[in-house]
Amino acid sequence: MSLTGALSIGKTALAVSQAQLQVVGNNIANAGNADYTRQTPKVSTSKDQQFSQNVFIGTGVQLDGIQRQIDEALQGRLRASVSDSNGADTEQLWMSRVESVLNELGDQDLSTQMSTFFNSWSNLASKPQDGALRQVVLQNGQTLADGFKDLKSKFEDLRSDVADRLRALTDDADSLADQLGELNRQIVTAEGGSSGQAAGLRDQRDATLKKLSELVDVHSIEQPNGSLNVYIGSEPLVLHGTNRGLTLREDNVNGKINTVVVFADNKGEAKATTGQIGGLTVVRDAIDATTNRLNDLAKNVIFEVNKLHSSGQGTGGLTTTLGTNAVDDPALALNDPVTNLPFKPTSGSFVVHVKEKATGLVTSTLVKIDQDGLNGDDTTSNDLAADLSAVTGVAASIVGGKLKVDAASNAVEFSFSQDTSGTLAALGVNSFFTGDGAFDMNVDKKLQLDPSKLAAAKNGEPTDNQTARAIADLETTVLGALGGSTLKENYESLVNNVAVTAAASKSNAEASHVVQETLFNQREALSGVSMDEEAINLMRQQRAFQGASRLISVVNDLMDQIMGLVR
Amino acid sequence: MAILPTNLARVSNLLRTSVATSSMTKTQRMLLEVQNQLTTGQRINKPSDDPGDGAIIQQLQKTLEKRQGYLDNISSAKNTLSSVDTSLEGLTDLLRQATQIASANVGSDVTADARTSAAALIDNLYNQSISFGNTQFQGTYIYGGDRSDKQPFVTASNGGVKFVGTNNVLQNTFDDNMVRPFMVSGDEVFGTATGTKVGSNNLSPAITTATRLDALGGATAAGVYKGQIKITNGAANATIDLSSADSIGDAITRINAATGTTDVTAAIAPDGMSLALTAGSGAFSVTEVGGASTARDLGIRQNNPVASLDGADVKAKVTPLTLMSSIFGGGGVDASGLAITNGSSTATVTYTGPITVEAFLNQINAADVGVHAQINAAGTGLEIVNLVAGTELRIGENGGNTATQLGIRTMSPTQQLSELNNGKGVRTVPGADITVTRRDGTEFSVDLDGAATIGDVITKINTAAGSTMASFATTGNGIVMTDASVGPDTSFKVAAANFSSAGEDLGLNGLPATAGVITGKDVSPVSIAGVFTNLAKLRDALRTNDQRGITEASQGISEDLERVISVRGVTGARVQELEGREDRITDENLATQSLLSSLQDTDYTTAITQFSTLQSSLQASLRTTNTVANLSLMDFLS
Repeated sequence: MSLTGALSIGKTALAVSQAQLQVVGNNIANAGNADYTRQTPKVSTSKDQQFSQNVFIGTGVQLDGIQRQIDEALQGRLRASVSDSNGADTEQLWMSRVESVLNELGDQDLSTQMSTFFNSWSNLASKPQDGALRQVVLQNGQTLADGFKDLKSKFEDLRSDVADRLRALTDDADSLADQLGELNRQIVTAEGGSSGQAAGLRDQRDATLKKLSELVDVHSIEQPNGSLNVYIGSEPLVLHGTNRGLTLREDNVNGKINTVVVFADNKGEAKATTGQIGGLTVVRDAIDATTNRLNDLAKNVIFEVNKLHSSGQGTGGLTTTLGTNAVDDPALALNDPVTNLPFKPTSGSFVVHVKEKATGLVTSTLVKIDQDGLNGDDTTSNDLAADLSAVTGVAASIVGGKLKVDAASNAVEFSFSQDTSGTLAALGVNSFFTGDGAFDMNVDKKLQLDPSKLAAAKNGEPTDNQTARAIADLETTVLGALGGSTLKENYESLVNNVAVTAAASKSNAEASHVVQETLFNQREALSGVSMDEEAINLMRQQRAFQGASRLISVVNDLMDQIMGLVR
Repeated sequence: MAILPTNLARVSNLLRTSVATSSMTKTQRMLLEVQNQLTTGQRINKPSDDPGDGAIIQQLQKTLEKRQGYLDNISSAKNTLSSVDTSLEGLTDLLRQATQIASANVGSDVTADARTSAAALIDNLYNQSISFGNTQFQGTYIYGGDRSDKQPFVTASNGGVKFVGTNNVLQNTFDDNMVRPFMVSGDEVFGTATGTKVGSNNLSPAITTATRLDALGGATAAGVYKGQIKITNGAANATIDLSSADSIGDAITRINAATGTTDVTAAIAPDGMSLALTAGSGAFSVTEVGGASTARDLGIRQNNPVASLDGADVKAKVTPLTLMSSIFGGGGVDASGLAITNGSSTATVTYTGPITVEAFLNQINAADVGVHAQINAAGTGLEIVNLVAGTELRIGENGGNTATQLGIRTMSPTQQLSELNNGKGVRTVPGADITVTRRDGTEFSVDLDGAATIGDVITKINTAAGSTMASFATTGNGIVMTDASVGPDTSFKVAAANFSSAGEDLGLNGLPATAGVITGKDVSPVSIAGVFTNLAKLRDALRTNDQRGITEASQGISEDLERVISVRGVTGARVQELEGREDRITDENLATQSLLSSLQDTDYTTAITQFSTLQSSLQASLRTTNTVANLSLMDFLS
């Protein structure tokens, strides 16, 4: 108990006030930094001094530490919500691009092209021999084929955009993980066993982790030494100071390159479900599903139209025809997978009609197609060519895997009808469309060169319209291959799928934004800097500092007086 | 708009600004949406704006597109039918004119010269009527059926007008479930199919493994449904899928593929008309699967177990691919052939070897006698169509019984007398109708009263002759009289007794004999009744001054006129129906358009209200943010 004691109390008060002012200053300086965590000084009274028995007297104030006002659980939830909302945003953004490719609800979309195509067949049925109407059918067929090709290529472009974006994001995520490893090392070194926290470094690490959360949904577990282990799913990404690394692997799935995000060390898939990377993965799958459905639809349009067309006849007969689809091995049954025909024929038969041009007399021959896999006598391409060659008036051969049928002389022409096996359509003989999917669909060039070969007739009469009507009716025919829906309905459901996904991602994005904002606000309420609060703190510390200075000045006076006694 | 919870303990500066920023972002985004709605005029620009309504919009657009197709078809059909109507109007006038000319030339006060000049007028009308038949509309011969790219009526080499079109009228779809023909057949207007000899016999071809299931009438004549059947033999059973079977052979292969399980083997029954199933051991049943009718249609439904089963007749149809030898359950058709006479053209059609029905028909069609042979629509027999108006078609035997078997012989011993002479029958008188004078000068009379068929007539003649004198021709058609007595052929003759017309009606009277044989005429030819025939008849009757002929032809033309008027009525009704449908579709379109608009178009009242609300909201946000952000205790520090 002495004046010196009082002076030292004043000293502690001055020092603590200065430190507290510094904290206030730091808080004010970081008021606009969203990654900053508000700091509060932790002060306590110094240890008491025994004045006399049972009397203890205070010795001033001491600064125990600077605390970060943070709720780690809230931070974790906030990061998860950041992943969610970034994932949903990405999904929304890209799905709207997918939807804009389909460009539905207008009058230039694929559904309109389909309607126009089938309507033109119906119109042709009104005047089957009309050359202009035939041209219209061919033109609308090509427009539809181009529509399919256009959509398909736009989806492919979109898909490669997704892959490019995925590559960029993976690079970003990898470098963020590197930074996290580095920060982990720095924090462990800085805090080095002391109880205090390296607040600035931790704020930096939180910010980096949040950035990583924007890209991929990660969760983290803090270790006793202060380092933070980061996981994607159950797989670790950053362990202490080490980043396992993220990179891309290109998988070939059904002839398509699938870009997958993997860990650099063991190339195991990093299964991101949300975040921008997760969102892109969802979008890529949606694009693939849509493309596949589109391709299936194109395939069905081609096959169904061709089945009817190949059994129909133009205004004149055929003198030569070359199938557009080749078999890999003409010695195998037509529906053998090794033949690689895009469409599989079934058991059935078709009729070949040979017409003598001079008399108009027709001789018909039934050609049997056996594909039942029984008795080992299934029809091969070679068998078919031989069977056709056995028909008087035609000669058939397999040229480069394709079926070629020729009239045996100039005096005859031939035609086909009643194909119950789908063989002619499968081989692309007398077909309307060529190709086997959305990417290579076209109207057969032979028809474009000679529209009279367009098959509107079914009974062999030049101006019959039954095939034209049957193809027109295809628009509303329920097809087993499409699960009991019509071609048009199938396309509508494809469009609706995309629409529903896009709408869902939009409302997901909105909902996850609200969650993220709510959590951000909660964090701000706890960890954010309030200038008013800091102003009050500033005033308080100012007054405390002034009080302590006054105390020292008074003690100084008193000491002067005591010193005066000595004189 | 999402609501942020405000029960927070502290409000930091960043919180204040972030809340302001997010609320402004939201308001601005909504403003953009409304702005987009207002500028495009559409509430839904892409399906995801409202997937539910988006799907409905797609449906409605599809309906509108489909209906546009229907409207195009209706418009095209109306044009075609209008041109039909115009040509029918002309034809009606023409036929009226012809009847007027005919009735003016019937009386006894008209001179032969006057009739000859009237004949020239009718000849002119006849030529005009042919050009009506060849009316063209936008490159289509409207009466040509599905061969409308060529003139359907041409002058035949043996005289008359030959129909080279078809009577298959084209149909099209004019609305959902509304399929209507948009043409009129040559037969409806000109009676081109009236000269058809319809085969009276069902040809019942035998089945082979190549017979297509599509070509079967089915055991109950309801076709064959290709589904599954189930064969049960004791405890073992197998379900056999015939949905991919195309032919009888396929069905047998599939049934026999399950023999290992069922011990039942299938084959074509010996009679060639059905399937036969035999069990190696035990008894089996054949049942339907899932309410299908496959087993029944194939004639092999057998609910009670049996050891062997000879199925019901599957009623194979005649197709172009049917072999002549398989007809009549495999009995085949006599190959002797047909003797065909059409006007002045004659042809003999024979065949050898196993040929198809199509090849046989081709031979007839290639004989160039103005006929078209075809399979009837039901696929049960053949029919021969006389294509030439103005000639008579006679189909007889060529020494065998081909025509009789096919049921296409124009005159036969079993024929009713009432059917002869185009349904005019045989006119008899009380007492004897014909007198036959033999070569040796003896004669006898025959009373034909009571004879119903040609066979009866032959019997009566033979009874009266006391010998087998009359028979039916084995080559060609007609009653053949053979005289066994000796004398000059000129003495042998058949003449009318009691002024009876019966001998003439039977085609016997006044014919010369050759080596003691008088070959009677075929008095049951097939000919086209109709515009061209009647006009030609009238012209010829006027030229030959034949009053009875004029009256007959005039009657025929009156019938034609009635028919043409009725076809015109039907055409008019069809145009009306199409117009009615056009109006309905247009009305429906209007309703659909308005529904579409209510779904897709912007509701300006709502949108503008929303726009101004959002505008005020944004203004309020800006103002409060500005005010709040400027408030700070720092300002009060000295």
